[in-house]
Amino acid sequence: MIELVPGRISQGALLIIVLVAVFALAWIAAKKKLKTRGIPGLETIDDWIKEAAKLKRPVFYTPGTGSIGTPDTLASMALLEYVAKHCAEHDAQILVANSDPQVQQMTEDIVKAAYTKAGKEFSTDMVRYISTRQFAYSAGVMGILRREKPAVNFFVGDFQAEALQIAETGRTEAIYQFGGTTNLDQLPFFTTTCDQTLIGEELYTATGYLSEDEEAISRLVGPDAGKILAILLILAGALLATLGATILIDILGL
Amino acid sequence: MSSDKKKMSRGDLGLQIIIFCLGFFYAIIYYIAVPGVVDLQAVSDQLLAYITAVLTAGFAIGVINLTRVHWINIKRKRATWRYSIILLIALYSMLVFSVIASPFALDPNATVIPASVIQFATPIWEFLYYKILVNINASIFSLLAFFIASAAYRAFKARSVESTILLVAGILVILGQAPIADLIWPGFSIIRNWILAFPNTAGQRGILIGAALGIVVFSVRRLVRYPW
Repeated sequence: MIELVPGRISQGALLIIVLVAVFALAWIAAKKKLKTRGIPGLETIDDWIKEAAKLKRPVFYTPGTGSIGTPDTLASMALLEYVAKHCAEHDAQILVANSDPQVQQMTEDIVKAAYTKAGKEFSTDMVRYISTRQFAYSAGVMGILRREKPAVNFFVGDFQAEALQIAETGRTEAIYQFGGTTNLDQLPFFTTTCDQTLIGEELYTATGYLSEDEEAISRLVGPDAGKILAILLILAGALLATLGATILIDILGL
Repeated sequence: MSSDKKKMSRGDLGLQIIIFCLGFFYAIIYYIAVPGVVDLQAVSDQLLAYITAVLTAGFAIGVINLTRVHWINIKRKRATWRYSIILLIALYSMLVFSVIASPFALDPNATVIPASVIQFATPIWEFLYYKILVNINASIFSLLAFFIASAAYRAFKARSVESTILLVAGILVILGQAPIADLIWPGFSIIRNWILAFPNTAGQRGILIGAALGIVVFSVRRLVRYPW
C-alpha cells in the first residue's frame, strides 16, 4: 500500500502548486508574447567572442569543480553550447578546462558537435581535463590563463574556494570576464572580478534569454512568477507569525 | 532553445523516456513509501551504486585526455613541452606507486605483487603523497590570502553609491571583527552583528530561494524536455 511520508506532504503539495503555477504562467506568457526583464551583459557575449576572434586570442570556458550531477554544472553546459556555437561561427578558438572526467566527456561532445556543425576542425586539446583535486585544478587553470592569455573568460558553474584564484588570475590578462554560480560564498568574488555575473537563478534561465525563439523568452515570465509566489508566502508567514497565528507553520509541518 | 523544437528520433524519444522515468522515480521516493512491499530507498541506493560504478570508470577518460593533450605538446615541441614531460612522469609514477603501496593498493596482502616490491614502494608513495602533494595543495590554497587582498582592494573603491555602501559596511564588519574594536567603542560589534544577521542574511536568502526555484524548474524542464 502506497503511503505518503509524514512531514513531507506539505512540501510535495507546495512543489506541485509552484510547478503548476510556473508552467501555466510560462504557457500563457508564450501565447500572449509577454516581455520579461533582461539579464544585463548576456547580449554582449557574441560581441566579446567576435573581439577574441579579431585579436586571435582564445575564449576560455570552465564549468568549475562540480560533478555531472550538480545543477550548476548542468546549467553551465547549456551556456557552453551557446558559447561553443558562436566561437565556431566566428572562427574563435575555444579552450575548455574541466575538473571532473564525466563533465570532461560532456563538454568535449558539446564543443565537438558545435565545431563539426559549423564545418570547423575540432582539436583534442580544445577541451582539457585538469584534475579532480580542487587546488590542482585551480593551479592548472591559472597556468592556462597565464600561458594562453585568453581574451574572454567564462567561469560559469559550480565553484568553491578556487573561484577567486582563477578569476583574479584571469583579470590580469583577459579583456572580458563572465562569471556565474549559485554558491553564495563565491558570488561576491565573481561580482568583484568579472565584468558580468549571473547571480543565483539567472544561471538557470540564461540560455532562455539567449534563445532566438521569442516564445522561449516569453516563457521566462514563469520562473519570475514563482519568485513572486515565494515572496507572497514569506510575507504571509511574517504577518501571521507577528499576529501569533501558527496556521502556516502547522500546514507546512504536515 | 530552437533545437528542442525539432522532432525527436526514436532513439532520442526512448532515451528521454528513460531519463523521465528515472528522474521521476528519484523525485517521488522522497514523498512516498510502500511499506511491506518494496523498500524504495534501498532500490534507489542500489541504482546509485550502479551509477557510481559507471561514473568511476569515467576517470579513465580524464587520464586518456591528459595523456593525449600533453603527448601532442611534446610531439609538436610546443612552448611548454618540458612541463608536459614532468606532468606525464608525475601522473604515471604516482599511478604506479598508488596501485602498489597506497591505502587503496590493489594487492595489500602481497598475494601477487612480491612483498619486497611493496616494501620498496611504500616510502616512495608516502614521500610523493605527504611530502609533495599535500604541501603543494596547501601552498596553492594559501595563495587565496593574496588574491583576497587584491580583490578587496578593487571592491572597496568608492566609485558609486553602491560601492560606497559596500565600503562602509565592509569597514564596519572588519572593525567589529577585530579584538580591539570593543575597546575603542562597544558599538562596533553590535553594528557588525546587525549587518551580518539582517541585511546580509536577507540578501543571501533571496538568492537562495531564487536559486532553489531555478533548480526545480530547470530539473522539470530537462525531464520533460520543455523548451526555453
